[in-house]
Amino acid sequence: MAEYFGTAVEDIFNTMEERFLSEGTLDVDVTIGYNISGEGGGNWKVTIKEGTLKVEDADGEVTDCTAVLNANAETFVGVTLGKLDAGEAFSSGNIKVDGDLTVLVAILPKAFKPFKPVIKASAIVESVEERFLPEKAEGVDIKIGYDLSGDGGGQWTVVVKDQTCTLKEVLDDDCTVIMRMEAQVFVDLNQGKLDGGTAFSSGQVKVDGDIGVAGQSASLFEKYVAEGAAEEEGEELISLKCVPSINQRYATGPTMGKWFDGLKEKKFFASKCPQCGRTLVPPREICAQCRVRCNEFVEVGPDATVTLIDVVYYASPDPLTGKIRETPYTALFMVLDGVSRDESFAHDLNPKDIDRIKPGMKVRPVWAEKRMGTYRDLLYFEIAD
Amino acid sequence: MTGKMALPNHYFAGRLGSKFIIALRDENKILGVKCEKCDKVFVPPREYCERCMSKLDECWVELSNEGVITNYTVVNYNDKHLPRRAPYILALIKVDGADTPFPHIVEGIDAEDVKTGMKVKAVFAEETTNTIRDLDHFEPV
Repeated sequence: MAEYFGTAVEDIFNTMEERFLSEGTLDVDVTIGYNISGEGGGNWKVTIKEGTLKVEDADGEVTDCTAVLNANAETFVGVTLGKLDAGEAFSSGNIKVDGDLTVLVAILPKAFKPFKPVIKASAIVESVEERFLPEKAEGVDIKIGYDLSGDGGGQWTVVVKDQTCTLKEVLDDDCTVIMRMEAQVFVDLNQGKLDGGTAFSSGQVKVDGDIGVAGQSASLFEKYVAEGAAEEEGEELISLKCVPSINQRYATGPTMGKWFDGLKEKKFFASKCPQCGRTLVPPREICAQCRVRCNEFVEVGPDATVTLIDVVYYASPDPLTGKIRETPYTALFMVLDGVSRDESFAHDLNPKDIDRIKPGMKVRPVWAEKRMGTYRDLLYFEIAD
Repeated sequence: MTGKMALPNHYFAGRLGSKFIIALRDENKILGVKCEKCDKVFVPPREYCERCMSKLDECWVELSNEGVITNYTVVNYNDKHLPRRAPYILALIKVDGADTPFPHIVEGIDAEDVKTGMKVKAVFAEETTNTIRDLDHFEPV
């Protein structure tokens, strides 16, 4: 279909209903004829009467209207989109109007919202080679398949290899990933009108193959901008980066205080229950099972036996600095030497030991050089061999 | 043991919040959004009407820079994040045309003399910070 500035003549007429502003035409009663010559042209009769619109395809030239506009397709589309100057089009004779010109000038702007070019999925896919960013594709070797249904859809394979991009008009069998969806969904995703996560979880997009590649591939291409699309003014969006800090003071009390004093001296202290004989690590004032005060301290460790290990891959921020923790890190559950069997104590494992660690192994503490009686005095544990 | 807990934060005002702050900053105007269905004007603006869930992002209205105090308190302690040194008056102000009040500082009057219902007007900041503090405070009319 013939397109001018990325738009076909009939797109303008096909969208008149949805662009019609009924409130602006309550006192209007006119007919407008359009005779558009050239490839993709045609003849239309538009009736606007008291807030209602009728758009009819006409066979042959339209003559009997309040105003009749005659133009070639390119001029008509260009002026409608604002790409060609209307004044020049008139004075050069590329647009001729029979009848009441004021109808067009005064009524049309009130009657219709401006035409915005429709973006077709096929236009987006077919332009991948031009929009490809080779510098972003170092080491990338993938084939992305698109299976888009509906108007403007099709099947394509985008091959990215050796920092070049080739488009094939078929869907290859050996694609790294294939994305299947309605063509309009593809356009909305591409233009940022639909969020990828939502589209996927609502079943609008089906992915076969490596979904990670699907997400990555967006960064390999420049954004598609429709030819003829008006440049939208960037919105100023405000954001604020700040690091509020909350002053904290933790008063340990004598029991926890003993634990931290012990750390200063590279020692571990536990409470001992006078009733059941349990040792509590870290020390507590009261035995939770017997409900009696524990006034006795015993030294335990410093080595321990591993009971359980949890390896964490989630990168969470350090609450004191905001820095993201290195992953993986561990929660190492162990029983310090001399501690009752069930009293596990949890701490960190030297990351270099993560691959070797097993329950039952012996570990020893690694201390900070300068110890000040805070939890930072104990860095982590490592395998004692 | 003492320490400071740092909370690195990146706050996004959002499309509506940004437009609200920009109007304070560049035009010294207070904007709200109106839900036509419920006939309610919300300030600061929000994207959806809380009652009927209508989308309000294109229903902006310009409001007066004057309003009334609907309630108030006196802040009596100091902390780094607070906008004024204690004691200062923090009030809920309903500007003319709005259906919701919003909190802000009131200056130019002693705490004992503040009354709910009293008229106040907005004073805008000379030096702006791209925050609601581009509206610096309200003072009695």
